[in-house]
Amino acid sequence: MAFFGNLDPEAYDRTYTDRELVQRLVRYFGPHQRSLAIVLIGVAVTGALEVIFPVTIARVVNGLAENPSLNFLLGLLGLVLVTGMLSWFVNYLRRRLTARIIGDIVFAMRRDAFRATVAHDLSFYDEYRSGRIVSRITSDTAEFASVTTLVIDTVSQFVVVILLSTVLIAIEWRLALALLAMAPVVMLVATGFRNLARYVTRQGNRAMANVNASIQETVAGIAVAKNFRQEAAVYAEFADVNQQAYTINVRRGFVLSNVFPALNMISGIAVAALVYLGGRAAGIGLITAGSWYLFIQSVDRFFFPFTFLASFWSQMQAGLSATERVFALIDAESVVKQTAQNPAPPLRGEVEFDHLDFRYSDQETVLTDFSLHIRPGETVALVGHTGAGKSSVAKLIARFYEFQGGTLRIDGHDIRTFDLRDYRRHLGIVSQAPFLFAGTVADNIRYAQAEVTDAEIETLARKIGRGDWLATLPDGLATDVGERGGRLSMGQRQLVALMRVLVQRPAIFILDEATASIDPFTEEQIQEALDLILGQSTAIVIAHRLSTVRTADRIIVLRQGRIIEEGTHETLLAQGGHYAELYNTYFRHQSLEAISEYGKLRAGAAAPAD
Amino acid sequence: MAATEFEVTGVFRGDRRSVGRWVWSHAWRQKWQLFWLFSGALANAAFAAAVPLYVGQAFNAILASPPDYARLGGAALGIVITQVIRSAWQMGRNFGAEVIGQRLERDVRAELYASLLGKSMTFHALRPVGEVMARATNDVREMNLMLNPGINLIVGSGMFVVMPLLIGPTLHPSLVLVPLLFMIGYFLALQRLLRELTPITQQARQSFGVMNAGLAEAIEGIEVVKGAAREPEEAAKFEQNAATYREAYVRQGAAESRSLTLLLLPVALTVGFAHALLLYRAGLLDAGQVVTFNSLLWLYGFPAFVSIFAYSQVSLGMAGARRILELITTETELDHNPSGRSTPIEGAIEFAGVAFSYNAAARAPVLQDISFSVKPGQTVAIVGQTGAGKTTLARLVSRIYDVTAGQVRIDGVDVRAWNLAALRQQISIIEQDLFLFSRTIAENIAFGRPGATTEEIESAAQAAQAHDFILAFKDGYQTVVGERGVTLSGGQRQRLALARAFLTNPRILILDDSTSAIDSATEDQIQKAIFRAAQGRTTLLITHRLSQIRWADQIVVLRQGRIAAVGSHDELLAKSSAYQAIFARQERRKLGVGAVGPD
Repeated sequence: MAFFGNLDPEAYDRTYTDRELVQRLVRYFGPHQRSLAIVLIGVAVTGALEVIFPVTIARVVNGLAENPSLNFLLGLLGLVLVTGMLSWFVNYLRRRLTARIIGDIVFAMRRDAFRATVAHDLSFYDEYRSGRIVSRITSDTAEFASVTTLVIDTVSQFVVVILLSTVLIAIEWRLALALLAMAPVVMLVATGFRNLARYVTRQGNRAMANVNASIQETVAGIAVAKNFRQEAAVYAEFADVNQQAYTINVRRGFVLSNVFPALNMISGIAVAALVYLGGRAAGIGLITAGSWYLFIQSVDRFFFPFTFLASFWSQMQAGLSATERVFALIDAESVVKQTAQNPAPPLRGEVEFDHLDFRYSDQETVLTDFSLHIRPGETVALVGHTGAGKSSVAKLIARFYEFQGGTLRIDGHDIRTFDLRDYRRHLGIVSQAPFLFAGTVADNIRYAQAEVTDAEIETLARKIGRGDWLATLPDGLATDVGERGGRLSMGQRQLVALMRVLVQRPAIFILDEATASIDPFTEEQIQEALDLILGQSTAIVIAHRLSTVRTADRIIVLRQGRIIEEGTHETLLAQGGHYAELYNTYFRHQSLEAISEYGKLRAGAAAPAD
Repeated sequence: MAATEFEVTGVFRGDRRSVGRWVWSHAWRQKWQLFWLFSGALANAAFAAAVPLYVGQAFNAILASPPDYARLGGAALGIVITQVIRSAWQMGRNFGAEVIGQRLERDVRAELYASLLGKSMTFHALRPVGEVMARATNDVREMNLMLNPGINLIVGSGMFVVMPLLIGPTLHPSLVLVPLLFMIGYFLALQRLLRELTPITQQARQSFGVMNAGLAEAIEGIEVVKGAAREPEEAAKFEQNAATYREAYVRQGAAESRSLTLLLLPVALTVGFAHALLLYRAGLLDAGQVVTFNSLLWLYGFPAFVSIFAYSQVSLGMAGARRILELITTETELDHNPSGRSTPIEGAIEFAGVAFSYNAAARAPVLQDISFSVKPGQTVAIVGQTGAGKTTLARLVSRIYDVTAGQVRIDGVDVRAWNLAALRQQISIIEQDLFLFSRTIAENIAFGRPGATTEEIESAAQAAQAHDFILAFKDGYQTVVGERGVTLSGGQRQRLALARAFLTNPRILILDDSTSAIDSATEDQIQKAIFRAAQGRTTLLITHRLSQIRWADQIVVLRQGRIAAVGSHDELLAKSSAYQAIFARQERRKLGVGAVGPD
């Protein structure tokens, strides 16, 4: 299940020493020193008040035996009332302030985590799933918040226990010791239950993960079942799984529903013991009736923090490791290093790989002694099997990765000397599955070039398929694309991504061509958009489509990180080398010859079965 | 009673007239457990209240002169016994509540599932699977938690509120006063708190959702963000969302700490004590009774403590129940016409002036003026851009949707005049999203015909060009696929779906073919499988493949819900400019190779 999956460590995780962790946290609490001091004073004050409250009540109870004046007793009770109200009020201020401090600190953590995250290299994102990164920034920080609340609550409860113990010991130390001696028993029982609960939960979770998956599957399978009129069969399967889930949950519930009754029983016995022992003590005049009452009333108060601590101990530990995970995300080191931060001048789009070595990790080398010169305005298609190094070439130009040897020059400047954000403004990048942000089509088109007007976008859009694609969008440029562009088809998303680049007019255009199937009409329009972009920029295309390799000025054939052939489609095909092999593997079926060939297959299908 | 396509027997149906009745009708099935829950809560509170009574007795025993130690021992023993009984009863009650919650979850899910099976394909075609799934899992779970711990705690703490009210007056009639005032004050404070808290927690949850979604978007689109050098803008956006959430969090904290329920405890204790003292001085209570009454009032600690948490759990559960019931009671309008025609289908399809819209209020109909006819055994390619209405058009044939105007006829008979089961049994639809169950490949292929023999399954797989890749797996036909098995590529899944269709041997095949092959060898096999599947039956192909379009008997070009052109490849090359464009570009780029070969 995803919830547990989140707890798996990532390679950038590190263990912080307690000191580091504390220092780090102190830095976050730093700006809130004064508020924090007030909270701590509040904790101490409420603790004291919460002790004064029962102690004074006990004093009044003494009045039952001693019969002082009524006004004195009522005066005492008035004091008790004031104490109680004051305690509520201080507690109110304390909790309010705590919420504010935690809110601010969590905000600061999230801000830092986000800023650090967007500054990480793309290699970081290749390696780590985005869902987990997101959960570190939102859920792990939230966990820190709840742990902080828990810690403050526990501390304030123990303050009460300590103060109360002091009072009780002062009254009669032997009786107080009897009460104190019971605390470990409660701890033990609570911890035992916690372990038991963890055991059954772990057992149950494994089974439940299966059951949940089955339930999901039977729900998703309803449409298929209806298609084949197999409703009865899927229902039987569902009913089985549903019953199984029930059995597991009830078993787990049985253990959990015993925790509080057991603790209640212990506290009941403790009360009985104090009633008896205290009564004996009061009987021989060792303590007053009021103190005896105080002892009895203290039992629950005494046990509460221990139960609390035992039940939330694991949550606190989890919270600390959540905090560690947030810090690890912030501290993950950047691999891409710039030697200077020069602003990028307007670029012509000349790219030169000069004896460059590149590898992702120490084991596998991707590019070795790689040299390639791309002239300004040229369209270069990269072809090769998976793993040949095509996308590495493209990503190095975008400076998403660090290379280990050689140099990479853009317009003659070392790529390491640019201010990265400034440099990337001159790049237009479209990936295989283009990503759109929630918003309108127009918002997405002007993502990299915020100042472009609707009219300009409209004009450009009309150049493609006579604006046909805009007509098919329900609200034209104002159409809401939905989350991740989900309301648009794959083809439309690609068109929008290409429009983004068209508007931006970058010096260098990097395209990882989509392999998804797109209807021929949209495909035609994509091709038109592409033609316009290729006319205005230097282009590096990881080619998957036949039409693209045909239009390229130069095809670079890669194998195992080396350039083994280069030329145009016709010359390379005529050579009959690696390119010809690639053509037969990846491009042949897109050709018109193949389309006519398939006609024979159809004729073949009509013949008797083979 | 709503029309249903399928009835499951033996599934409990709740009272669906309102959410409250529905939840109650489900809960009432567990009468015994409910009895345990209430009686257990009552017993728990009563036995808890026994402690103050014994403490009072103990006081009287000690204050007597000489102190009566036997009575003291009796009181202590009484506490032990009542507390042991109390916890035993409490276990029963907690477990009872647990069982009710779990049964509720199980039964509600079964009712939901059975009702989903009864709904029309129209319903399922329109509902995103994820949404249905969320209700079958999360919402059902919320209902479970509403009962336990939600209701369980409310009932339990409610009894603690009631106890002093019951026992106080037995000490002295006027001691009803403070408990009564506390009860009123408690409910007023609770009501105020909930009223204040509800919008704030909603806002907190919502702003957390917004922050999370925005963050997920930025992280998933990081390549675009970096590529466009927009990091500061994204950071600003995130910080704004995070600040909104912080605001809500702080407000929630403030509202919770303002809660007056916790203030009521010391007030009730002191006022109640003063009251008892006055009665004591007047000789109306003895010392033990004063102590008893004071200890009774300490019982209020529990309700004051759990109130906030338990009530919000209940409101979450009710919201979940509302969403589930909404889904269950959604009417599905299609009638299955049992007396309709149920002869074998020849395979002629005719669209006559067909129009379709999802609802009358829609801006533009999805389909308009659709007329064309297909002879038995023909293959028709339906092409057009996304959103042109291709899938909808195909769905009208098997009555997943019914036309808004005009007629769809099969063998000359309006589809609405066919027996729905007979119609659908003879039509096979291979949808775009191919769903495979987590079972073996053989079972997946035989899904539509559970009794099929191994030979039949294998020959279907062979016809679908799936046999070879299946054998390449270690376990062959016994390989488990789907969510919890081997992941198959789009092309492989499509061929399994085709094998399914071969086995059921439909008269009409509707194939939504949106997969794309990366390499030419796979492409060859898919082409072969599709041609083979189309053989001998009427086939509607929604396809992007130029070769399938090129070789179809008839091509229907849709554009924004209307037919832009219809005819054979050669006819369209001659008359449709849009159609020309897609083939012409190919030719333009093709140097030295002649025009498309003749038929």
